[in-house]
Amino acid sequence: MAELGALSTSGVVDATTSEESLLLERLNRVEKNPSGFYAVHLHLSELRQPNRQPHYLNIAARIFDSIINNYDATLFPLNNADLILVCQNVPVDDVDSVIDRVCSLFNEDPLTVSHGGSFEDQFSTWYDLSTSEDFAVLFKLATGLAMDLEKKLKEEELNREGSQESKGNPLSPINLAMINQKLQEMQVNDMVHQQTCLHLGTRGDGRVMFHENFISMSELKKKVAPDVNLFASPWLFQYLTETLDRRMLGIMAERDFDLLKEPISVNLNISTVLSRVFQNFHKAVGDNTQKVVVEMQIIDIFSDINSYGYARDSLQEMGYQVLVDGLSPTSLQFFDPAQLRSDLIKISWGSEFESDDNNRVAELREVIARIGKDGVILARVDTETAIKWGVGIGVSRFQGYVIDKLVKVIRGVKQH
Amino acid sequence: MTKETYSQKRPPNQEGLLLEYVHQLEKHRKDRRAVHLHLSTLSPNNRREQHIQTAVSNFEPLIKDERGQMFVLKNSDLFFVFEETAKLQTEAVVQDIRFLFDDDPLFAAQEKADQPFATWYDADKDYDSILHLVQGLAQTEEKGQTQDRSRMDARSKLKAKQEQGEPLTPEVLEQVITALVRADLSNLVRRQFICQVDTNMVPEQKFSELFISIKDVRETILPKVNLVANRWLFQHLTETLDKRMLSMLNKTDSISMSGDISFNLNVATLLSKEFLSFDDNIAASRRGSMTIELQKEDIFNDLSAYVFAREFVKEKGFRVCLDGLNLETLLMIDTESLGVDMVKLIWDPELVDSGEDAHGHLRSIIRQRGDQHLILCRCDDRQAVDFGHAIGFQLFQGRFVENLIVEDGRRRELLKLQRRIERGSEESVTQSRPDD
Repeated sequence: MAELGALSTSGVVDATTSEESLLLERLNRVEKNPSGFYAVHLHLSELRQPNRQPHYLNIAARIFDSIINNYDATLFPLNNADLILVCQNVPVDDVDSVIDRVCSLFNEDPLTVSHGGSFEDQFSTWYDLSTSEDFAVLFKLATGLAMDLEKKLKEEELNREGSQESKGNPLSPINLAMINQKLQEMQVNDMVHQQTCLHLGTRGDGRVMFHENFISMSELKKKVAPDVNLFASPWLFQYLTETLDRRMLGIMAERDFDLLKEPISVNLNISTVLSRVFQNFHKAVGDNTQKVVVEMQIIDIFSDINSYGYARDSLQEMGYQVLVDGLSPTSLQFFDPAQLRSDLIKISWGSEFESDDNNRVAELREVIARIGKDGVILARVDTETAIKWGVGIGVSRFQGYVIDKLVKVIRGVKQH
Repeated sequence: MTKETYSQKRPPNQEGLLLEYVHQLEKHRKDRRAVHLHLSTLSPNNRREQHIQTAVSNFEPLIKDERGQMFVLKNSDLFFVFEETAKLQTEAVVQDIRFLFDDDPLFAAQEKADQPFATWYDADKDYDSILHLVQGLAQTEEKGQTQDRSRMDARSKLKAKQEQGEPLTPEVLEQVITALVRADLSNLVRRQFICQVDTNMVPEQKFSELFISIKDVRETILPKVNLVANRWLFQHLTETLDKRMLSMLNKTDSISMSGDISFNLNVATLLSKEFLSFDDNIAASRRGSMTIELQKEDIFNDLSAYVFAREFVKEKGFRVCLDGLNLETLLMIDTESLGVDMVKLIWDPELVDSGEDAHGHLRSIIRQRGDQHLILCRCDDRQAVDFGHAIGFQLFQGRFVENLIVEDGRRRELLKLQRRIERGSEESVTQSRPDD
């Protein structure tokens, strides 16, 4: 298969051999005898960023192989992630089925919601190139894209020096050992941050549920491994968190829990909860276990559900509150978090919730009904719309950027 | 005398002793009775050592007078076997203990659900059910001991190190990966069949799972390292194993590709260039006979990546199987919306006692998704297949199933031999050999 322009790893594309200019050339030839030609534009550049990764786009382009191999058809994978298929006399149904398949790959993306022959299909646009009207529109579009690319390439050339180091090497066993060692030795106290989870009352009054204590990953990365992408392997990252847990508990154990006015929460691996480090921490907490929330991640829970059950029971027995973290709008359709029998669950706000007629919202309603609204926290809320939306379906516990701002306001009011 | 907690005083394996005792009881079962106290249904707060000890101490007078024998089980249940003449006294003791836990909420709930606090047996009449119960307990306990959750204390770490080698560290992980990339792993590939097993225990092979034996990898490559000591490092290692498996599957000469097969992969592998080139190199018709097994923690690590990868491989024609579920996760996860073709449930003797509700759930999954959807795997003994049949499972995998295949092969050989002999004797008749 041809090398795909948008997917080349170096990011360097020659403007004269780019897919954009090849598309223009092709259109020029089509213009001479456009009978039977048509084009389909797939707006993959409108996908959410995580879905626009090169290996995703590469796989999406492969779905067209059956069309390209069997018909007179060319696929132009553009630099901005869009795909344009130009073909002659290919049965529309065949192309339709390929586009449906590509669309289903991105099932979870809001972009594909409108797909399916509806009036406002944002996923794909069709052009009948034998009509001069459609041809002109596409030609204009392609020209614009080619010019955009040329401009972008020039800019990139200018910025190339600066842009080299930003991504960094992936986390690998070699640098993992080094980073892990550093983590064990370095001062981390000043990297511990707090974020407040707030219970919003009906009159707009807020009550602190707990302050989540966490080590800022971006600060940590700057200090220990500025040139390493810590999230390249989820498993190696999870390994690092086990070390972070120990550091965190060490710092927390130095606090006087008798004096603690508002509850705190900490993120822990299940293995940490079952370890001796936690027993030391527990000694420091003493009779104040009701002031501590222990957050555990869904990835950790699913990798050993029996240990989770055991850790949850012993934590609850000692008086701690157990919180299940790491739930997304997507995850609610695949399992029932109520069955994890935790005290609280935390669901990240996502744009999936925003559109009215979708299942994600219905699923969330069901979860709230099963767990009880006192047990559900909507996290990562970064707009007031998100809070209003949450309140609208019965959530009253929130955490996130807007809440931080709100807490500051409330604190300010109290001081005056 | 120094005070010891009950667990220290408790002999190592009461379940085993109880089983032995019940075997002996068979000859003396007349005028004996037994009572099973379900303390395991108490809430954890009421199940501490001192509570159990208090409960046991109520039986002391009877034990001292040698009118009964007490067994304290690992799950905190008590099993007391006593003489008929001590019946009234025992009933009084049980009543006292019942009052002791009167306020326990779980307990009350259990009783409401018609799960009595105590189950009474007549050793003579009910001997078979006692034996069955005790056998089950002993089996669960034996398994529990080997799998005992390691509280990560120094002692268990030391023990693990002595038995399984040094735990995997990032430094060693790098060495292991380098070694794995170079080593010829084709002789470490194992095959286990997923079979339809009928009630006569005759297996019919459906497809076979190919996997790289971790135990053998360890023994041949790094004998001193415990590869599975840290699950995150191990999970990372599996991505390397995935790629080796794919390249072996591409070389048809190294592994017999015959028949329908399945193999484990990570979601990340499905989106890698190695998988794309694997996919390029296999005949389109082969894809339909291949099942990709995915682990639940891998799926839930990045659900959008999973949904993308699932659509991609299913569209290519591969089948997808969700691996590694136990009863709890099977009932929690909506496997239908996950869009997998098959699901593997790990056999555990405790499934037998998991209750009518759970059994009903399993039956309804099989009813809804068909009997080719749910596979009972890691079946080590006949009990697994018997249980599966009772619920409606058709597909099984595990050591027991492998043995069935061997037996079946032997039976077929014998049949063939028999036919040959019969034919031989027919021929000998026609040749009229005198001594046949």
